[in-house]
Amino acid sequence: MKHTNLIFAILLLLIISTNIANAQEDNKVKLSGKFLTDQRFLIKDQNDWAWNENRLTLKFDKKISGNSKFYSEVWLRNFGLSNINSSNDLYNKGIIDPYNLEVREAYVQLYSFLNENLDIKIGRQRIVWGTADKLNPTDNLNPYDLEDILDFGRHRSSDAISFDYYFNSEFSLHGAFIPFFQPANMPVGIFANALNPSMKLPEGMILMGLNDKINMPEYNLAESSTAGMKFKAFAAGFDFSLSYLWGRDGMPIATYNTFTSVDILGGININTDLAFYRTHIIGADLAGSLGGVGVWAEAALFLPDNQINMKTDLSALYPQGTPTEMTIIDTIVLKKEAYVKFTVGADYNFSDGSYLNFQYMHGFVNERGNDNLNDYFFIRFEKKFFEEKLKIVPIGGGFIVSKWDDMNNNYALIYVPEISYMATDNAEIILSSVIFNGKGDNIFANLSDYNMSMFKLKYSF
Amino acid sequence: MRNLKLSVLLVLFLFAGFNTNAQDADTILKKVDEVMYSPKDMTGETKIVLTNKSGKQSTREANIIQKGTDKRIFRFTSPSSQAGIAVLSLPDDVMYLYMPAFRKERRISSSVKSQKFAGTDFSYDDMEAKPNAEKYSPKLLGTEENAFILELKPKSKKSSYSKVIMKVHKINYYPISVEFYDKGNKKIKEGKSVYKKIGKYWNAQEMTMTNLKKNHSTKMIMSNVKYDQNLSDDEFTVRKLKQ
Repeated sequence: MKHTNLIFAILLLLIISTNIANAQEDNKVKLSGKFLTDQRFLIKDQNDWAWNENRLTLKFDKKISGNSKFYSEVWLRNFGLSNINSSNDLYNKGIIDPYNLEVREAYVQLYSFLNENLDIKIGRQRIVWGTADKLNPTDNLNPYDLEDILDFGRHRSSDAISFDYYFNSEFSLHGAFIPFFQPANMPVGIFANALNPSMKLPEGMILMGLNDKINMPEYNLAESSTAGMKFKAFAAGFDFSLSYLWGRDGMPIATYNTFTSVDILGGININTDLAFYRTHIIGADLAGSLGGVGVWAEAALFLPDNQINMKTDLSALYPQGTPTEMTIIDTIVLKKEAYVKFTVGADYNFSDGSYLNFQYMHGFVNERGNDNLNDYFFIRFEKKFFEEKLKIVPIGGGFIVSKWDDMNNNYALIYVPEISYMATDNAEIILSSVIFNGKGDNIFANLSDYNMSMFKLKYSF
Repeated sequence: MRNLKLSVLLVLFLFAGFNTNAQDADTILKKVDEVMYSPKDMTGETKIVLTNKSGKQSTREANIIQKGTDKRIFRFTSPSSQAGIAVLSLPDDVMYLYMPAFRKERRISSSVKSQKFAGTDFSYDDMEAKPNAEKYSPKLLGTEENAFILELKPKSKKSSYSKVIMKVHKINYYPISVEFYDKGNKKIKEGKSVYKKIGKYWNAQEMTMTNLKKNHSTKMIMSNVKYDQNLSDDEFTVRKLKQ
C-alpha cells in the first residue's frame, strides 16, 4: 500500500510538473529589443558633436493567462558627452560616461475584465491618441518627451489606468485616468533653448541672470489628475473619433517676473514664477482612403480653465513710494478663449514602390493662443531600391510660416534628405542631414546655426 | 432562305457554345473558390523564404488566422525587426496595419494594395482572402491532361493586372499555377502551389511566387494548419489586432 501511494505520489508529481512546464513554455516571458546608436555632428567649423546616444531598448512581454498580459519597455542609455570640469569628476563614472535608465512602460492588461467587452490596462503606459502621422494635436494624455526636438511626437508614458469598452467591432469607448501630473521634459544638448521664448528687455537693461521657480500642482487628485474619454467609430469607410480631456498643459507658463538691479550699468536679474495651467481639450479625428489616397485629419480645441496673467514686478528698479500701478505691469499671456490646433495629411503609394506623405499642421506643441499658432507644411518622398534594402528620401522636410503678411522675414525651411540601408533583416543603417534656414521668431528658424549630419544604426533582436 | 436558316442556326450554336464555355469557366472558378474557401475558418503558421536573383535567402515567419473569405489577420513573428507587425483584412476592402512601435493601428489606403506585402513577391492584393469569382471574370482557354486553363480578367479597374492565367486541377479543383500579366499584357509574376489534404480540405502547403522581372521569389510554407475551430468574428477586430 505504501508502494502504491509512493508511485501514485510520484505520478501525480510528474503530471503536475509536466503541466507546469507546459504552462511555463506557453506563457514564458518574451524578451525582444533594439539597439540604437545615434550620432550627430554639426556641419560647420570643427564639426562639434551635437548628439551622442547609445540606447538599448528591452521589451518584456508575458502572457499571464488567456485574458491578461504584462508588458514592459526599458531604456538603458549612454546619453550625452562627458562633462568633466575638475579632477573630482574623474572619480564619477556618471560624469565621465553619462548613462541613465528609464522604465518607458510597465503595465498589466486585462482583457474582458468583469465584462466580455471591457479591456483595462493598469500601470505605466503610453496612451496614443490621434490619426495624423506623428503630428497629433489630440495626443495630450501623456507628457511630451521633447528631449530630441527632431523626434516629432515622442511622448513619455504615464502611470495610469485606462480602459476600452467595445460596443461592437465598429464602436468603442476609451477612457483614461492619470492620478499624478507630470510635465513635459524639455530639449537637451544643442536644442536646449529651442523652445524658450525670446525676451525683449527695455532699452538700457542688460540681463545678467535668470532664475525661475516652478509651482507644481499639489499632489492630490483634485489638482494633479488628468482624465480623458474618447469615442471611436467606423462608418462610411472612415475611422473617426471624438474626445475630451481635462488636464494641464505640460509646458509651464510665466505668471510673475521680478526684476532686480544688479549694478548701476543697467544689469538686472529676473526671477520668474512658472505654473502649469488647467485646460479642457476637445478633439476630433478621422482617417480613411479617397481614390487610393490615404487621408487623415485631426483637430484639438483648447480651452484654458482661466485667463493667465503675467505680472512683471519692476518695483526694485523704481524709488520707494512709486505707485504700484507704475511698477507692476499686468499682461494677459493666455486669454480664456478657445483656440484650435489641427493637422491634415495624405499619403500615396505609387506603383513603382515610391511613397509620398504630406501634412499641414496649424500650431506646434509649444504654441498657445489664437495669435501664436504658426503654419507648418511637411513633406516626405521616399523610394526603395534593391529588393527594398536601400531607401532614399531625396525630398523630406518642412516649410514653416510664422507671419503670412511678412513671410520674407518670418519663415523657416527644414531639409532632411536621408539614405537608409537594411544590412540584414534586423540591422538598418541610416545616414541623413538636417539643414535649417529661416528668419523670425519660430523654433526652426532659431536652429539655423545647427545644421547637422546624422548617423544611426538600429539593430532589432 | 435555307442559307439564312443555316446562318441563324450557326449563330445560335456559336452563342450556345460560348455560353456553355462561360458557364464552364464560371463553374470551374466557383469550384476553385469552394476548395480554397470552404473551411469555415483556419489558423496556421507560415514560413516565408525570400530568394533573390543571386540565390541569397532570407526568412520571415508569421501566424495567420482566417474566417470565411474576407476576414484575416496576418501577424509577423520573425525577424525581430518585423515581429508584431500585423495586417487585418476585413470585408469591403478595409485593411488595417498595426505597427507595435507606434502603438496604434492605421487604415491602409487602397493605393498600397498593389505594393509588395512586407518585401515578398505577393502584393497586399494577392494576400486578400477574396473569392476569385468576386475578383475576376473567367474564360476557359483550354484543357491539359490534368488541368483546366482559365483566363481571369479583373473586375476592378484598380487591379494592377490585365489578366491572370490559372491552371486548375481537373479532379480536385485547386489552382496548380497562376500567371499574372501587367497592363501591357506582359507576364510579370508566376505562382505555383503544392496542395496537401488536411482532414476534408485541400491546403496549399507550399506556395511559390516568382517575380520574373526581378528574378526574385517568395515561398510560403504552411504548418500547424487547423480548420473549423469556430473562430468568432470578434477575433477579427482592431481590438484583437492590437493584442
